[in-house]
Amino acid sequence: MHRKKIQTMGLISGLVAGGLLCATAANAESGPTAAMLANTCAGCHGTDGISGGPAMPTIAGMPANHIKTLMKEFKDGSRPSTIMGRLAKGYSDEEVALIADFFSKKKWADAESHANSKLATAVDQAQAGKGKKLTASAKCDKCHEDDGKAQDENTPRLAGQWLDYLLFKMQDYKNTALKVPQEKKMEKAMEKLSAEDLAAIAHFYASKH
Amino acid sequence: MSMLKLNRRSFVKLSGAAALVGLSTTAVNRVGFAADKEKEKGRVVVIGGGYGGAVAAKYIRMADPGIEVTLIEQNQHYYSCPLSNWVVAGFRDIEVQKWGYEGLKKHGVKVVIEPATEIDPATKTVTTKGGTKFKYDRLIVSPGVAFKPVEGYDAEAEEKMPHAWHAGPQTVLLNKQLTAMRDGDPFILVAPPDPFRCPPGPYERASLVAHYLKKNKPKSKVIILDPKDKFSKMPLFQAGWTKLYGFGTDKSLIDWIPGGEGGKVARVDAKTMTVYTDMAEYKSSCINIIPPQKAGAIAEMAKLTDESGWCPVQFDTFESKIHKDIHVIGDAAQATGLPKSGYAANSEAKVCAAAVVALLNGQKPGEPSYVNTCYSMLSPTYGISVAGVYKLVEGKIKEVGGGLSAADAPEFIRQQEATYNESWYQSIMADTFS
Repeated sequence: MHRKKIQTMGLISGLVAGGLLCATAANAESGPTAAMLANTCAGCHGTDGISGGPAMPTIAGMPANHIKTLMKEFKDGSRPSTIMGRLAKGYSDEEVALIADFFSKKKWADAESHANSKLATAVDQAQAGKGKKLTASAKCDKCHEDDGKAQDENTPRLAGQWLDYLLFKMQDYKNTALKVPQEKKMEKAMEKLSAEDLAAIAHFYASKH
Repeated sequence: MSMLKLNRRSFVKLSGAAALVGLSTTAVNRVGFAADKEKEKGRVVVIGGGYGGAVAAKYIRMADPGIEVTLIEQNQHYYSCPLSNWVVAGFRDIEVQKWGYEGLKKHGVKVVIEPATEIDPATKTVTTKGGTKFKYDRLIVSPGVAFKPVEGYDAEAEEKMPHAWHAGPQTVLLNKQLTAMRDGDPFILVAPPDPFRCPPGPYERASLVAHYLKKNKPKSKVIILDPKDKFSKMPLFQAGWTKLYGFGTDKSLIDWIPGGEGGKVARVDAKTMTVYTDMAEYKSSCINIIPPQKAGAIAEMAKLTDESGWCPVQFDTFESKIHKDIHVIGDAAQATGLPKSGYAANSEAKVCAAAVVALLNGQKPGEPSYVNTCYSMLSPTYGISVAGVYKLVEGKIKEVGGGLSAADAPEFIRQQEATYNESWYQSIMADTFS
């Protein structure tokens, strides 16, 4: 009952543009509000989750369950990271749910549309073209549908994400010693792709918006 | 515009300050309903537009556009201290550290570029150098740090032995001196006692200068004179120094002399370019003095500080424990438990903004949540970090999660953290100024 109330409040605050205000209006006895918690993430992930740093992912509009899964994996150490594993340990499941809900209701913005887009590694069209073919042959597009624009509870949006971030993550996925949690079918697809292939795929998804 | 539509506050401000007419015109044009709403909700004045103040101003406007927010900042441009050590070591342009206030204006923040010279808590008024008076319902003070005296270190000495602890011309000056330094001279870095702005900062600077020396002045080394016996991220720094700069060997590019071994500086002489400790004297053509610190001048003038030199505050609102309706955030605040870092200032600003919005709406401030994330570079491709999530537990700021980069992290992780440092900077600056 208690938890449900918190989630409802998070929902209401997320629906209103001035989330901070409405969340503040909520009952102060029940822990920090969704906006209070989520705004602390903005120093790295950008205001409302729209990242301004090419190596940091935009998390605005990401499905709430996907954020929850990632945070759980960061927290228990199953997902490798430099810093997120340490930060995730500071939040309860209830708090992660509030944060996830907050960002899931924010609007996605392509890296290309950000004022800092010039700081990112530039998309190489030849690479992107090669990447497009690979997404078909390696069947990336079976889950990452619509050129990576589609997303659901288990699949993050890739189209328009920061290229530097995508390149980093591809390196991590390729580094089998890291054991990045992933679907079996994705693991199999990864085995067949070289580091160069994966870079091309990153260029392809970054080029889409 | 119609004068009839001016509310009392806008009118007082307009008549009080010819210099502000241009600025207030925007507000006046939008007057009418919006201004009436602002009048209902109240006025916030923010002094200081850095990692703390600019964020507080923006987040108040984002949460409640009915609140009028005026930011008073003395400089047209802001130079970020985080990442300025890269400029000192010569692999970053100072222009990349430079920011302006156009983005805040888009959030409806009224920006006044003028030094604030007086705060009167009785009449709830801030006066600027030009004599303009600004009334507030709540004031947020984010003035950064000022220096405590060091014998022999005056304004003239600052130009010969730069502190480079306020980014900008001082940063550039120290880089010039490093570049001009004779190969074989030591780079003398005088570290400050706790507490001070950016606890790992002096040690990052020593690392990056050593990186520069290794390539450019192989006969030179860095000597850190430190009044302390330990410092932030110390095991990570020392392990990195051992790996990169021969730390601990007779060929080390970095010597660290702690307080217990004569590192405490007693006085300096800028004419002879000498630093005196209790036990020895050090001469060089390049000396960096980072003096002991206290809250920024305006906070002291307004008697917001206690005997420690810092501003005691409530941890849930950052309201001063000395003056009602005045909040202090950032390095100047005594936020015991949080480091004096840029990210902590950002986080304090958001806690404070939420509290101010609640209070001006007649509500009880909510529970705070704070985060710190701080990167340091040991070379351009070797980064380390400290992160922390904090909560208010029984009146104390308590770390509930976080920690340091792993001591045994592989090289690619150090490289990734170096890249994340740059992205951290771009994101937090966008969160601050866009």
